[in-house]
Amino acid sequence: MNERYIQALGIVLTAAYFGAIVFLYWTAPRTLAEVSTKSQVAIGTYKIEQAKFDDGLRAFRAENYVVARDSFDRADPERRDANTQFYIAYSYYRQGWGRISNDGQLFLRGIEAVDRVTALNRDFKSEDPDLKMPTPAELRNELEEGTKITGDDFNPLKLIRERK
Amino acid sequence: MNENSQILKASDETDGVPIVVDDDSFVTDDTSVMSVRAAYVTYLLVPAALLTVTLLGGIRLAEVDNAFRFLRPALICLVFAVILLVLFVRGHLIELSGWFSEELSVLQNLANACVLITLFTASTQIFNSLLPEGGLPFWIVGFCFFWTLWNDLFLDFDARRLLRSLGGLLALGFFVKYLLLQNLTAPSSENWLKAIFENPAKEAFTLVLDLPRYSSLTGYLQFFTVGLFLLGLFLIPRTTKR
Repeated sequence: MNERYIQALGIVLTAAYFGAIVFLYWTAPRTLAEVSTKSQVAIGTYKIEQAKFDDGLRAFRAENYVVARDSFDRADPERRDANTQFYIAYSYYRQGWGRISNDGQLFLRGIEAVDRVTALNRDFKSEDPDLKMPTPAELRNELEEGTKITGDDFNPLKLIRERK
Repeated sequence: MNENSQILKASDETDGVPIVVDDDSFVTDDTSVMSVRAAYVTYLLVPAALLTVTLLGGIRLAEVDNAFRFLRPALICLVFAVILLVLFVRGHLIELSGWFSEELSVLQNLANACVLITLFTASTQIFNSLLPEGGLPFWIVGFCFFWTLWNDLFLDFDARRLLRSLGGLLALGFFVKYLLLQNLTAPSSENWLKAIFENPAKEAFTLVLDLPRYSSLTGYLQFFTVGLFLLGLFLIPRTTKR
């Protein structure tokens, strides 16, 4: 091979290898499997694992929220799918909701999850008719209200409210 | 006709018709083969080795599950790398006029710049690899590196002595971090009180010196990295002018 071609090839390969190193340090994958997932995100071919999402949805409908979140997390390890993240946020709401008092810790995690949804898709609206709060704004408001202690909390009529 | 040209005639014989070449063309052909080989080493092998050092220098493996941890270099590593490059030039390991020159083509100047950039990134990462991550050991080892490099700046070096000195410095850094400090680090335990009773000295060193808990595989990985860096330095030519 001509020396010039070797030099040109050297520049190209060096730039490509250097780019790959910067990508790895930027995304910091923990395993080799994560390298593949993060590469898919970078090149725009990332998709959630539908089978695990379906498992999560079944567990969600059966009110087994811990299992549901585990499946949703496995389905969307990079947290790039707004719909899956919305279900995760909703699972925190439903698990943490109580007729007398709410679980503040779960509600706070729900707020974190719903913020991820907003960051991914500001106009997100769930098409699941089972979810009575289909938008992140409604869910966030409910979660925020649930973490505050106000005079309304002592209203006895609260005991007959329903979970959404 | 000398022996060399006879050898070339015999090897280039096609269809029973020997190709007649004179002695000068043989010498030109031989030099060309040599320069192509040198180009392979300089523009492909050396950057590959140095970029691998760049990649591996910041990788640590977690103690529990051997998961990757990518550590970005501290600012001081960049300072050390700059000093090291100055040392390479002062020690004549690299002749700058042989790497960047008007006599060379734009492509070659560009390719040379790429190689030297990989040398800089590898130097940065080799310090990232050998400097302890934090606490008192970071400052002590960092100061020792700085003191050694700073003193070296004012010494008269040749390339061989510089490589020996650098090899010694890197070997010492490796010994301190991956043999001495690693052996003082207590294994992680879920029960703090139990850990104190089981490994009181190690637990004390880990807490006082703020030692990170990594898998022992990290040491093997960084040993390979240091070796690869020295190999890259050994292979890098002083000049790229033929």
